[in-house]
Amino acid sequence: MSWFSSRSAGSRKEQQGRVQTLPEPDVHRSLALSALFEGIRGRKVNVLDLGSAVGSNVEFLSQYGCKLFIEDLYAALSSRTTVEEGDLAGPEFFSEFLPLPEDTRFDVILAWDLFNYLHRKELVTFSEQLRRFSHKGTLLLALISYHKTIPAQPYRFKIKDEQNLVYERRTATERPSPRLAPAEVTGLLKGFRVDRSFLLKHGIQEYLLVRD
Amino acid sequence: MAWNKRDDPPTNQPEPTTPMSPPRPSAAPAPTPAAAAAAPEPPRRTDRATIGPSIFIKGDLSGEEDLVIEGRVEGKVDLKQNNVTIGKNGKVRADVFGKVVIIEGEVDGNVFAREQAILRQSGGIKGNITAPRVILEDGSRFKGSIDMEPPKDNASSQPSRQDQHREREQQNRENRSEAAGVKANAG
Repeated sequence: MSWFSSRSAGSRKEQQGRVQTLPEPDVHRSLALSALFEGIRGRKVNVLDLGSAVGSNVEFLSQYGCKLFIEDLYAALSSRTTVEEGDLAGPEFFSEFLPLPEDTRFDVILAWDLFNYLHRKELVTFSEQLRRFSHKGTLLLALISYHKTIPAQPYRFKIKDEQNLVYERRTATERPSPRLAPAEVTGLLKGFRVDRSFLLKHGIQEYLLVRD
Repeated sequence: MAWNKRDDPPTNQPEPTTPMSPPRPSAAPAPTPAAAAAAPEPPRRTDRATIGPSIFIKGDLSGEEDLVIEGRVEGKVDLKQNNVTIGKNGKVRADVFGKVVIIEGEVDGNVFAREQAILRQSGGIKGNITAPRVILEDGSRFKGSIDMEPPKDNASSQPSRQDQHREREQQNRENRSEAAGVKANAG
């Protein structure tokens, strides 16, 4: 049961063992989230959450009667032990990361801010996997940072309501941000097109992408 | 011995957020106030079995009482009418069926709860959860899927209401029988 020993809060390239003081979580309005819930209201959907397991999100999503798959991408990337520093995750990793039956199709994919933590090549490879498990019309929520730096670990996002997201930092340390441009996002995530995008005041661009 | 029956309620057991099964009626007649003062109350039977930390069970478990697993179990835990708790020391590689299933330890398998599944902060599940209500505490580890049926109406969103109603009826019956007993003793 080695999986149980790897904590999802593990860092990918971050020093550990430091006591850090984290700021209070911020609450930000999310226009993409509102649009997403508008799109799924009234039907039972399959949701893939690529973030860590958050109880309040599960409780919130339960009102939609959805089937929720939680696959913590960052924890999986962090727990790779056989790779050298700087090695990129390849197709084999992403295939093992989503060990799902071939006929699994998601209606909604919650990528949160995780694309900020993937190398551009990793993003291309990962989007191929996401295409495998999606269908025409699948909605993909992604939050891209335009700050120069981002937290060294992804935020923990908590859905407060259909319009608001709580951003909870997991670490005080920072790392450079890839600052993916809008054209890059669509170029890297082949098979998905931007349905709506919202540039928010706090330096985050929200994307609601749709599978073609 | 594989099964360690507890007669007295453990002090550090977690309580689910919804009430469990209603209290069972006491078989003994209600004591008079004088008798109650003279004799200590007998320990209440909780109908809960515990698999201790040093126990390893390979095979299927079934029964009709609540179960706390602090040891290791491989196979299947089938207690659909009862509450199952995987304690902090518990390691279960099995599908778990229960009414309310509480996980504080590790489960490698699927969890099916008729009423509610609760994954505590210390717990981890690698598998799928099927339950009308699922609670994941922050910090818990989960990898798999959660299948939640939408609430049909306000009443069905709170599955404990029927239990609460039954509990109230039971309590009323007990009160009536106690009152009758007191009257008989007084007479």
